[in-house]
Amino acid sequence: MSASTLLQKFGWRRLSRLEIVQLVSLTIIAIVVVSPLIILVVASLKPDRFAILADMGSMRAFWVDDPTLNNYREILSFDGALPFGRYLVNSVFILLTTVTGGLLINSMAAFVLAWGQMRGRAVILSVLIALYIIPQESIVMPLLVLVNKLGMSDGFSAQILPWMASPIYIFLFYQFFKQVPKDIVEAARMDGASLFRIYWSIFVPLSLPVMATVTILLGIDMWNQYLWPMLVTQSDYARPISVAIAGFFGQDTVFWNTAMAASVLMMVPVLVFYLFFQKWFMNSFAGAVKG
Amino acid sequence: MLKSGFLGKRLLIVAALAAATAATLPAEAKTKITMMHQGTADWVQTYKQVAAEFEAANPDYEVELIYAPHDSYNEKLGAAITAKQLPDIIELDAPFLANYAWSKYVVPISPYIDPAILADMTASNVAQGTYPIDNKLYAIGLADSSIVLYGNRKYLEQIGARIPTGVDDAWTREELEAVMAKLAKVDGVKWPLDLFRGYGIKSEWVTYAFSTVLQSMGCDLIDRKTWKATGTLDSEPCVKATKMLQDWAKAGMVVPQSAGTNQFYAAGNPAALAMGGHWFYAEAQKTMGDNIVVMPLPKFGDKAVSPNGTWIWAITSAAKNPEAAGKFLSYFLASKTLRDQARSQSAYPGLKSFAASSPLYAPGGAMAVAFDQADKTAVARPPHPAYPTITVAFMEAMDTIFNGGDPKKALNKAARKIDEEIEDNAGYPPFGTK
Repeated sequence: MSASTLLQKFGWRRLSRLEIVQLVSLTIIAIVVVSPLIILVVASLKPDRFAILADMGSMRAFWVDDPTLNNYREILSFDGALPFGRYLVNSVFILLTTVTGGLLINSMAAFVLAWGQMRGRAVILSVLIALYIIPQESIVMPLLVLVNKLGMSDGFSAQILPWMASPIYIFLFYQFFKQVPKDIVEAARMDGASLFRIYWSIFVPLSLPVMATVTILLGIDMWNQYLWPMLVTQSDYARPISVAIAGFFGQDTVFWNTAMAASVLMMVPVLVFYLFFQKWFMNSFAGAVKG
Repeated sequence: MLKSGFLGKRLLIVAALAAATAATLPAEAKTKITMMHQGTADWVQTYKQVAAEFEAANPDYEVELIYAPHDSYNEKLGAAITAKQLPDIIELDAPFLANYAWSKYVVPISPYIDPAILADMTASNVAQGTYPIDNKLYAIGLADSSIVLYGNRKYLEQIGARIPTGVDDAWTREELEAVMAKLAKVDGVKWPLDLFRGYGIKSEWVTYAFSTVLQSMGCDLIDRKTWKATGTLDSEPCVKATKMLQDWAKAGMVVPQSAGTNQFYAAGNPAALAMGGHWFYAEAQKTMGDNIVVMPLPKFGDKAVSPNGTWIWAITSAAKNPEAAGKFLSYFLASKTLRDQARSQSAYPGLKSFAASSPLYAPGGAMAVAFDQADKTAVARPPHPAYPTITVAFMEAMDTIFNGGDPKKALNKAARKIDEEIEDNAGYPPFGTK
């Protein structure tokens, strides 16, 4: 039996040259993208930082002789020397609270701007859009002074409240709400529905795609936040995992073993979430790029 | 009767209010001490423990620790300064002390520290904490730092190299280059020397390590009397020193930046020598055991020079009760808990009593030569408020030079950048006038 007959028997076909080039290229790209993740996971299973350093830069970085979960055991406590359980819970709490509050506040603001009856809505919208170009870093100092004066530092509120509302998310909701036919709003008004009732019963259910986009974008933002929580947290109490991981990188010592284990722990929730909601992720980024 | 009854009621109300107020206030307010620090998780845990021990021994005091990861510490400290919320005690990197002292963020520390601890400081520790304008001590540390030359014993014995035992018989530049040339031909040696370029081009390591080569060859980052870099940093000895480093890199004699920082002890030991910090010993020893030789830094020019300086502690001008801050710092530096942690990390001693109880650095210890070197050859990085600019300018110059750029031009550019920064600040008076 010739090779081509064998391929046909299994329903395969000969690949064209272009397809072979594409396949090889994609395989190489996949290896390049996945390699650091493999090294990360493998390193997190090595017994100590010395073993990781000795293997770094060679093919041994991809292999572990005696895998151990000790690094995970060391960091997965709630009140030990490295309370990563606590940091992880802190991060999840900050993310969930900010995203939930963010969805409500941004959508409500957008609804009022789109369908409210107050004067000056167009001006407010223009100012909001203008605010979008101000980078976060430039408002950090005044915000820090404000947070300290309000006695909110080293707590959760300082990490949640400043980031709930955002011009970009208000604008995303606004764009969507503006497309809802006027007749629907008029009909609801004639039925005696209040503005809040119209928002809650009609617009919220309609805006699930935007809600998903904002959840994903704001969620990723919050999960990866570093500068702000680093500035406002002082103790373990409200420290998120992103800041805590930096604690493994010292002046002249890097605890690669625990840093790698903590990085895996920080990555896992995002990966799991991504695998389940892949389609939403794609749509969110496509939507955000298109505006 | 009516009047006295009315008065009685009022007195009763006042008494009740006073009692209620007293009940809501603590019997005696505690003295609060705030301390900002960096460090890895093990150090953070140690600081917490020392603070708890201090509070147990001094029930009238309360210590609040403010933490920032090492790589973001300066941002956090800068934010605290801008927000006018400096804590009582801060940790700072020694070469940046002059900047903080000139800006009046920190105060002379001697009046607040236990005299026994002050007397216990090594000369190098005093040097790293002293502000040159008033020659007063502004910061103190349990530890200090240095760089030594690590060698692979097997390789060195194979080529029959002379192994120096102390600062006085350190290799000269010629000896080092001859050894490197021989090592390059040994089986298994890919690079004769690791200069730890793998720490990166924007790492303080660049200034910490390579400024000693410049100083050994007769120049410096800046003239320490006139505080001008032009004419010093771009002088002939500095050009010669950096050209030497460039030639080594060009000839493939030193580990490239992309190869990381583990080539001395990685499988097969591709690097034969390593000009590394004291902290590198623990990493290398874990893998190489007795195959490491610890040697003093080579005498590249007329004199031997080694670096010093690490993270040290200062009391800020914002401290309302500097005596309390000094009391805690004195307790902190003498603490057994802190010293045990420092010893476990091979910390380089900055206090004589700590050195005596650190077998690694005591006479006969594997790193004794490093401790001996600090006493005889340590030179602090320039104690000037413009140091943040000096170090960045030098890092940029070294990056250009290692990548094949003209050393004279690169150093001249760095020198001009430093001088411009100093001129922009009117010379940072009284620097340049004293």
